[in-house]
Amino acid sequence: MIKHHPSDTLLAQYCAGELPLSLSIALSAHIEMCDHCQSREKQQEDLQAMQTWGEAATEALNLGDMLQDILATPIDQTKAPLKAAVSIAIAGKQFKLPRALRAFNDLHWSGIGAVRRARIVSDEKNVRASLLHISAGGQIPAHQHKGYEITLLLEGSFSDELGSYEKGDFILLQGDVNHSPKTEKGCLCYTVLDAPLHFTRGVSKVLNPLGKLIY
Amino acid sequence: MLSIANIMTDNRLNHSDYSGPNGGESDIQRALCAVADAQDKKAFELLFNHFSPKIRAFGLQRFGQEAQALELVQETMLLVWRKASLFNADKGKASTWIYTVMRNLCFDMLRKKQTQKEDTLSDHLWSFLEEPQSADDDHLFSRNLLAQIASLPVQQKQIVEALYIKELSQQEVARLLNIPLGTVKSRLRLALGKLKATLEIKHD
Repeated sequence: MIKHHPSDTLLAQYCAGELPLSLSIALSAHIEMCDHCQSREKQQEDLQAMQTWGEAATEALNLGDMLQDILATPIDQTKAPLKAAVSIAIAGKQFKLPRALRAFNDLHWSGIGAVRRARIVSDEKNVRASLLHISAGGQIPAHQHKGYEITLLLEGSFSDELGSYEKGDFILLQGDVNHSPKTEKGCLCYTVLDAPLHFTRGVSKVLNPLGKLIY
Repeated sequence: MLSIANIMTDNRLNHSDYSGPNGGESDIQRALCAVADAQDKKAFELLFNHFSPKIRAFGLQRFGQEAQALELVQETMLLVWRKASLFNADKGKASTWIYTVMRNLCFDMLRKKQTQKEDTLSDHLWSFLEEPQSADDDHLFSRNLLAQIASLPVQQKQIVEALYIKELSQQEVARLLNIPLGTVKSRLRLALGKLKATLEIKHD
């Protein structure tokens, strides 16, 4: 049972196509797993369509040439087959990736200890989006984030000081939260971070490589 | 049944007084379905005249540039023309469908502007422009295929059923029928050749 969903604001920005790719993937993958948010998305799209089309555009346009060009274009009647689902093998297990990640079939994994990471998006200023796999019994040391951290649980479960999370949960943490997630049975997450992790305990220098890996 | 006369006489679309789901929605849906079913150019012209100025206004707000706003009009209306048959009235409103076509293009254009990348990833985020999976087609195809399997020579039929319906391995089938593995393979090859030939003829 999914308990954590994206906020109304985030959902509205997603439906308007205003979110960057990194965040849009998180929303899309959550919605794919969540019936509740599928109907929220539909409502939001209806609302936005109504507002957008409801605005009167007074300026007359003369786009006759454009219209003729379009009408001269053949209708697309090829039946594009559904693209096959992409599944990946990590640590000897098969995982089916969400639809939004289908284009990312050339993943490069690197890892330290129980944590393995594959970069998804790295071309948006400070934002990094990755797939993160943590093996059974794995833990990420206590840390804070300077910015935000979005975790979408794709498979498995994990828990931290704030609660426990199941497949499909969409978890948004803001900078001031201090947590140390751990997973008993292992998990695969999609994460979006907009600043490096800041480890709050232990010998931070030793943890730097892990911080870099996760960010 | 949709008729062009219907659409033409109901000229509310020509004025911009579209007032939400109970206003012009049924006209928009009729026009979109006429484009989908009959590539109706008059119906498309109505949609084009209704939506183009609104899309341009939206594009100006989003991009702040006339050229990009017009590109958005062109690309959105082109997709509406070419992909109208993917609209499914059971799943949502026609006006929302057109909005989501525009939204997807906006997403890709914005990403191109920000990252200089020409990937069209919006199709993966939102799947509504994909062919719906047709359970009926699959079902028909399976039934057809089963009938073809039944009409194979007994020895070939045995092999195909054991491998694909009982899902045994080739080794298991060889052991079960007490024949060499090579024979299993050659009978299978013959059977698949026959099935392929008959199904291809039927599909043409």
